[in-house]
Amino acid sequence: MKSKNTTLKLIVLVVLVILTCVYILPIYVMITNSLKTLPEITQRTYLALPDQPQFQNYTAALFGSRDFLIPMQRPIINSTIISVTVTFLTAFFGGLGGYYLSRTKSTFTQVIFILVGIALYLPYQAVIIPLTTITAKTGLINSHFGLILCYMIINVPLASVLMGTFFLGIPRELEEAAEVDGASKIQIFFKVVVPISLPAYASVAIIIFTQVWNEFFIGLTLVSPKTQTVQVAMAMTQGSTISPYNLQMAASLLTVAVPLLCFLFLGRYFIRGVLAGALKG
Amino acid sequence: MSAIKSHQLRKIWAKFSEFMVFTLPLLVFLLILYGTLVWNFYVSMANWVNINADYTFTGLKWYQFLFGQSRFWVDVQNNLKWLILGVLPTAMAAIFLAYLLELAPFPGVEAYVRTLILYPVAMSFVVTGTIWSWMYQPEKGVFNTILGSLGIQSPFAFTNNPSTATYWLIVIFIWQYLGFSVIIVQSSFRTTELQEMIEAAIVDGASKLRILFSVIIPNIRAGILVLVSLLLISSLKVFDIVWIVTRTGPGIATDVLATNMIVTTYDQRLASAGAAIGVIIFLIAFILVIPYTLYAFRKWFE
Repeated sequence: MKSKNTTLKLIVLVVLVILTCVYILPIYVMITNSLKTLPEITQRTYLALPDQPQFQNYTAALFGSRDFLIPMQRPIINSTIISVTVTFLTAFFGGLGGYYLSRTKSTFTQVIFILVGIALYLPYQAVIIPLTTITAKTGLINSHFGLILCYMIINVPLASVLMGTFFLGIPRELEEAAEVDGASKIQIFFKVVVPISLPAYASVAIIIFTQVWNEFFIGLTLVSPKTQTVQVAMAMTQGSTISPYNLQMAASLLTVAVPLLCFLFLGRYFIRGVLAGALKG
Repeated sequence: MSAIKSHQLRKIWAKFSEFMVFTLPLLVFLLILYGTLVWNFYVSMANWVNINADYTFTGLKWYQFLFGQSRFWVDVQNNLKWLILGVLPTAMAAIFLAYLLELAPFPGVEAYVRTLILYPVAMSFVVTGTIWSWMYQPEKGVFNTILGSLGIQSPFAFTNNPSTATYWLIVIFIWQYLGFSVIIVQSSFRTTELQEMIEAAIVDGASKLRILFSVIIPNIRAGILVLVSLLLISSLKVFDIVWIVTRTGPGIATDVLATNMIVTTYDQRLASAGAAIGVIIFLIAFILVIPYTLYAFRKWFE
């Protein structure tokens, strides 16, 4: 389908230029202005580069300063604890559930599949009041476990479908051979299926991690000062009355740094995970 | 005799342990999830109007309360705008772009564009919203400053104009989801059957546009169904963008059901009414994903 057509080349060029502007501008503005001094910000020359990059803006955003009262350090630690725990546990349980969904075809499995399918797209608003009540009653709301539990409840169905999609693509011969040798299903899963599915686990882990790190609604509702997540802290920096733009942009960069680095360096797994969730599930 | 029995026992034990390991964890999580859903449904028919839970049954009182509020209908209108304008332009632009990338006359274009438009997938709406709200500011914003330096007195108040604010919010959504949509469309292009049909059409001398409309689009219906369903759900669930950029304002001009739910539950302390909004959002989402769920079901168990 390669073409040497000149009009086509022109169209592609125009589209490329437009896309480049539209997608570079926000991140360019974010990075350059996070490195400026406050007087530079007030000059409103947003496209200019900073005279002298102010790297201390990042320390100010991370540890707080006179102008910036929402240090991001604690929220970043909170989000890391929550996201990493949820990612590991959800990938583990999702693998088990996905294996079940991909290897049995009984009516019971079909019912479970439908329930999982609906759960994938469940709006959080429809469960948030009971979740708040449960975590408040059990006291979990005061520790990271409250959010960890909620995120797991919501993400295990997703992880199951994603992992199941990958398992469906694994040839059965390996498992059948192991079965002939007398291995149980559980042994087969942990000794045969899991080792060859590690790339799939990586994809699912990246998707879940990004989703949990970026989640805002539940974090906002179940917020307690000790477990405040990075998105909730970021949302509080909103509005120039509370924090100057340069520091706000520095805080934004700190907030997106982890998932963005994941995306840039592990993009392959990321895309595969997105496609698994989109096409076959 | 006992040998047969112990063999049977071992078989039952194997089945049981498989159930405990593979099925039970998923079942437990589903049970909690659907339990909270039913619980929330009951709250919506109770009389919880303060900090303390009150489970006195009141029937559909809170649904009637919502339907009688003009705010609820503003939300419905705005959600409709989101559902239509968040989905159609994104899907069409994604198909167009994916096709352009297939035709791409320069090497390296595809890898470049993919990274360029896909990076927002890794960013949260909180951050995207923060950046865009700064770009949109009517007085000191990036867009108006740029337009001003080009000598254009900007006619745009962006999100400060109540009648167009929602549209500017939807632009952010499209910006964020375009890359994601393109890779979904691209992967549905890449089937051998479709590639063969395109080759055949080229041999027949069909124009590029004709190939797009009469060969490609009719044959990627499944991909389009998936894409449209995902976009519909994402734009229905939209909360973060509105909350961060306009906080439902000016006034309640950009309010949607999801933001109203939080305001009703936590600011006005009408938990039952908030639960009712939650139920309504769930029902809409449920209806929207039916075609997709059926498609996925057939594909999974075929």
